[in-house]
Amino acid sequence: MGKMCKTAKILTLVILLFHGVARGESAGLSITARLDSVNVLMGNLNTLHLEIVENEGDKGRLSIFRDLDRARGYATVCGDSVELDANYKIDTTRLGSGRMQLNYSIPVQSFDSGTYTLPRFVYYVGQDSALSNSLTFNVYPVNVTADDQIAPLAQVSEPDGKRFYDWVPDWILDFWWLWLIIFLAICIFLYGMKNYQKKGIPFIAPKETPKPWVIALDSLQRLKNRKLWEQGMEKEYFTDLTDILRVYLVDRFGINAMEMTTRQIMDKIYESDLRDKRDYVKQILNVADFVKFAKVRPLPADSIAAYENAVKFVEETVPVEKVEEKTATEKEGGENI
Amino acid sequence: MSESVNIRELNDLIASKASFVSMIRTGMDRRIIGQKHLVDSLLIALLCNGHVLLEGVPGLAKTLAIKTLASLVDAKYSRIQFTPDLLPADVIGTLIYSVKNESFEVKKGPIFANFVLADEINRAPAKVQSALLEAMQERQVTIGEETFKLDNPFLVMATQNPIEQEGTYPLPEAQTDRFLLKVVIGYPNKEEEKSIIRQNITSGASPITPVIHPSEIVEVQKIVEKIYIDEKIENYIVDIVFATREPSKYGLSDLSSIISYGASPRASISLALASRAYAFLQGRGYVIPEDVRAVCHDVMRHRIGLSYEAEANNISADEVITAILDKVAVP
Repeated sequence: MGKMCKTAKILTLVILLFHGVARGESAGLSITARLDSVNVLMGNLNTLHLEIVENEGDKGRLSIFRDLDRARGYATVCGDSVELDANYKIDTTRLGSGRMQLNYSIPVQSFDSGTYTLPRFVYYVGQDSALSNSLTFNVYPVNVTADDQIAPLAQVSEPDGKRFYDWVPDWILDFWWLWLIIFLAICIFLYGMKNYQKKGIPFIAPKETPKPWVIALDSLQRLKNRKLWEQGMEKEYFTDLTDILRVYLVDRFGINAMEMTTRQIMDKIYESDLRDKRDYVKQILNVADFVKFAKVRPLPADSIAAYENAVKFVEETVPVEKVEEKTATEKEGGENI
Repeated sequence: MSESVNIRELNDLIASKASFVSMIRTGMDRRIIGQKHLVDSLLIALLCNGHVLLEGVPGLAKTLAIKTLASLVDAKYSRIQFTPDLLPADVIGTLIYSVKNESFEVKKGPIFANFVLADEINRAPAKVQSALLEAMQERQVTIGEETFKLDNPFLVMATQNPIEQEGTYPLPEAQTDRFLLKVVIGYPNKEEEKSIIRQNITSGASPITPVIHPSEIVEVQKIVEKIYIDEKIENYIVDIVFATREPSKYGLSDLSSIISYGASPRASISLALASRAYAFLQGRGYVIPEDVRAVCHDVMRHRIGLSYEAEANNISADEVITAILDKVAVP
């Protein structure tokens, strides 16, 4: 009985010791690697599965992808023949008892045929590390013969999950701020125009065209101020004077004076209501013809008379209606005072 | 008004020398009723040392006009009736073998005259036309190995009948360009026609007395050369001529399809010359825009080529010139 009891004690101790070892082993770090397929065609995707078991809360890292590889999107192994895609997926599974399993699914692709042995992958947790098993797989080339049909190019397919702005051209989206400004400007313009219309004021005031007699009198005053004939430039003086007169005849009476000779202008004036004003024009044009075409230097009296006749002609041909309106306004003003 | 000496002197000179103009006009009026424009055109051509191409139906006193002018100027007159069988020698002359002298002698043609009427010039073949036009241009002819200068003044008035075109040799543009003026004459009005009847049914027309000698005409031609043309007038002439070449630049885009070719530089020269002569006829020593406009139609009408479109639409060169004159700014 005592012997049986001693045996039981030893057995219990062994069990406890074994359990303790087992427990200590399960609390450690492990990494297991496997491939979806060990035989793949060149260019086809294969998946590398890495199953890592660690304690919950451990912050480990896999040494497959360096920063550089992540930046370019893949890492190469086996002498650059095999590419591991950096866009892998990680699933996490709680195993219980404070343990956790990480499942890495890393796309693997090779564009060279041959047999490749993937290196053993290391997983670090602090000072601890685990080393995976090694894997070997075959990459077969795609057999192409001259008899093979060339497949047609695939059609461009619409992206999945198109949103409303995908239909909007880029030039609209890129300059959204510009459209916003234009829209706001139109809104302000319409608002302003509506307000002005309510008040009976035109939003854009029409530009008032100066009347022909105003232009002519201004031009004559400017010509006088230039003192051309006083400086011996009689030809320029009479050229400008006749041009002012001709422009006035065109704008005021519709007489095509710019393309008419002196005689034609005089004939036209004689035929019109301006018959009684013809002497003014005749003196100017006749002297001007002498000065412009015959190298004649007019007397100062001729130059002064030509200017005065031009002013008289313009002043005396200002429309009568305007004068009446002005008189009426002055009368009203006088009565008010 | 104080004017520069040159123009005043010129005006005085013109006043003293231009009296023959009114005498010629009076003399022409005694023989020719109406056709004042034709008379003025002949005088302009005479004063510029140019030639006139006359277009009008028969019976409009074309021959009488130049014959009367020749009589008034006391000049030698000859008439050449152009026919299809005419030869250049019939116009300029030829060498004739003299049995008496046993040598070739020059027999001068009818072109050796002061006033030559080339009647119906378009009825003669091109080589005869060329012979005449070359003589007109060079003012000399070569017969055999000898060159003879033509008389001065030398005025050719060539006529064309616009209605009978069959069997004719129309003058090419290069040849018509040599005429200073192309004058188109029309029918007289009723009053003029009545006067023509009265004048012609009475017998014994009064004889014509010469009013000027050809040598005096040459002197007057030299005075006409002195008539002043201001730069503004030159610019006006250039604008008119350029408007025939580039109408769109002068706001005449409608004419672009109507004009096939514009006037040549010879047109500019002729316009200036004729304007000067017209100013002389008006008793002026300087040219004004009115002078340019007065001669513009006669100078330009045979120098503007019209397109088929213009012909199809019955648009004449005169209408084109009028449109240009109405658009080009007067200085």
